[in-house]
Amino acid sequence: MKPKFSVSDLNLFYGNFQALHQINIEIPSNQVTALIGPSGCGKSTFLRTLNRMNDLVDTAKITGNIQLDGENIYSDIDVMKLRTRVGMVFQKPNPFPMSIYDNIAYGPRCQGVKDKQRLNQIVEDSLRGAALWDEVKDRLNKSAMGLSGGQQQRLCIARAIAMEPEVILMDEPTSALDPIATKKVEELMEQLKKKYTIVIVTHSMQQAARISDKTAFFLMGELIEFDDTNKVFTNPQDKRTEDYITGRFG
Amino acid sequence: MSRKVKDQLCNMLIWLSAAFSVGILVLVVGFIFSKGWSKISLDFLFNDYESKTQYVTLESDQAYQAPASLSESALFSENLGVALELKEDHYEIVWMDKESPLKEATNNADEKVKISKGDCVQQIKVSGKSLKLDKKTDQEEIVKALNENNTLVMKVMSVGGGIFPMIVSTLLLVLVALLFSAPIGILAAIYLVEYAKPGKLVNVIRFATEILAGIPSVVYGLFGMLMFVNTLNLGMSILAGGLTLTILLLPTMMRTTEEALKVVPMSYREASYGLGANKIQTLSKVVLPSAIPGILVGVILSIGRIIGESAALLFTIGTFAKLPVNPESGNFSLLETGTSLTVRAYIEVKESGNVEMAAAIGIIILIVVFTLNLFSRLIAKKFSKANN
Repeated sequence: MKPKFSVSDLNLFYGNFQALHQINIEIPSNQVTALIGPSGCGKSTFLRTLNRMNDLVDTAKITGNIQLDGENIYSDIDVMKLRTRVGMVFQKPNPFPMSIYDNIAYGPRCQGVKDKQRLNQIVEDSLRGAALWDEVKDRLNKSAMGLSGGQQQRLCIARAIAMEPEVILMDEPTSALDPIATKKVEELMEQLKKKYTIVIVTHSMQQAARISDKTAFFLMGELIEFDDTNKVFTNPQDKRTEDYITGRFG
Repeated sequence: MSRKVKDQLCNMLIWLSAAFSVGILVLVVGFIFSKGWSKISLDFLFNDYESKTQYVTLESDQAYQAPASLSESALFSENLGVALELKEDHYEIVWMDKESPLKEATNNADEKVKISKGDCVQQIKVSGKSLKLDKKTDQEEIVKALNENNTLVMKVMSVGGGIFPMIVSTLLLVLVALLFSAPIGILAAIYLVEYAKPGKLVNVIRFATEILAGIPSVVYGLFGMLMFVNTLNLGMSILAGGLTLTILLLPTMMRTTEEALKVVPMSYREASYGLGANKIQTLSKVVLPSAIPGILVGVILSIGRIIGESAALLFTIGTFAKLPVNPESGNFSLLETGTSLTVRAYIEVKESGNVEMAAAIGIIILIVVFTLNLFSRLIAKKFSKANN
């Protein structure tokens, strides 16, 4: 199968500090890829290179090559365009302080969609896609800040799907949620992977084991192991992976 | 034991200091109110500063009814629909019919003249005769003169002593200063927070604005005089004063906007960029709307600053208590000299020792600044509520 992302020889520096060392990985499409590893191992940093969010950090410098469907994302694709193709959901739910409707319509509007009917359709489809429609359909014009944390996170997912991306990056999307909201988001991911490629950073190894097809283990800015989730968790090839998943450190 | 005594001493010192500062505040406000309160009235707010004497021509075309409430000592003219009453040694207009010809009065130059209650009638010219009005004048003769002919000329002195011109000038100053300083300050702050890469240049700009904020306003006044009044040849004018205030306000405006922008969570920006928005879209749709209450607080506090500023204006707008009106065309003009409330308060005390007037102006300024502060607090409160 052709990979969605193929990353080769990726190095990332924050000033003089090297956060990522020689990363080589091929992320398959329409699967859930989990990135695990202890805090500060570079998994979030790696995730944010995939839609160039690290560009926002002035000191970040990148070498190497990242291709999305064979196109180099740092040279062949415009960064705004890239981010519409590679959506992102953040650790803390971060809806805009506007109405639920405006939150979802924000992305399409920025791309110049003005037609009211089409926006209505996008909003409804996205909210349905994020399993939020039934909960909020009667209060689309109310502020998104009034939703619960779990609802806010699903709203952020809906906002990401509104752009009809090919990939959704999730940076510890459930770490700020309670178990029930987490379960809902996980179920949602199961649904989403039929249509989208999902890359998720998670602190919870159970979560990685539950939802992902592939797992990548990062340590100190290096990619230690990358394989089918089953294999990583039952038969890790690297001693350090084993130590980590058996809870010997991290 | 000694620890207890030390504790009590410290407490007393703290308490005394607090009481002292509150006491001083109460004293100052109390002094100003006790000196100036008696002067405060609608007339004080809306009367012209200078009293003005002019001859007005009146033409009557109907007879008027005297009101029932008229006092016995008042002289009523059916011809003009107006009642005069002797006050000390002059005759004052105490009542006017709504359709009285006095409302349509014109002066020698054929301009309309506004005559209002409280104005003083000094002389009546009718049928070639002239009658001076003072306490020696026979009252019947006055009534007769008033009703004798359909056309007559009156010498009317309007009451002055009001601060209307200063209020208008101050409002114009606020307008001009905000018009320039708000957009420039806000855009500069946006540059510093959103665009500039952290480094030497930004540090230099920040340092410069901090220094600017610390410069005494009289220095800005001198600069304004040399730059705007002399070099740019604007003369002592509202515009020169407004531009001087613009420079004075820029640092504050930048600082408050910067603070307002900095408290907008980074996550809003990330979310926006993550959805493929560009910088301008992120700024205009997400960052600025979230920062607007903070920016507004800055603007409101700036208005307070403008109203309270005096040293920067002394050399730039002038000290004449007149409306900034072009004497020839009669239109408002920013290139005309005028004076602000605070400058006038200073001049009143300095030139004629009129402390009551200055205190009354002080009361007006205090009330306005207090209201503005209250308003900005309200906005800030609403803002913090909306963010939680």
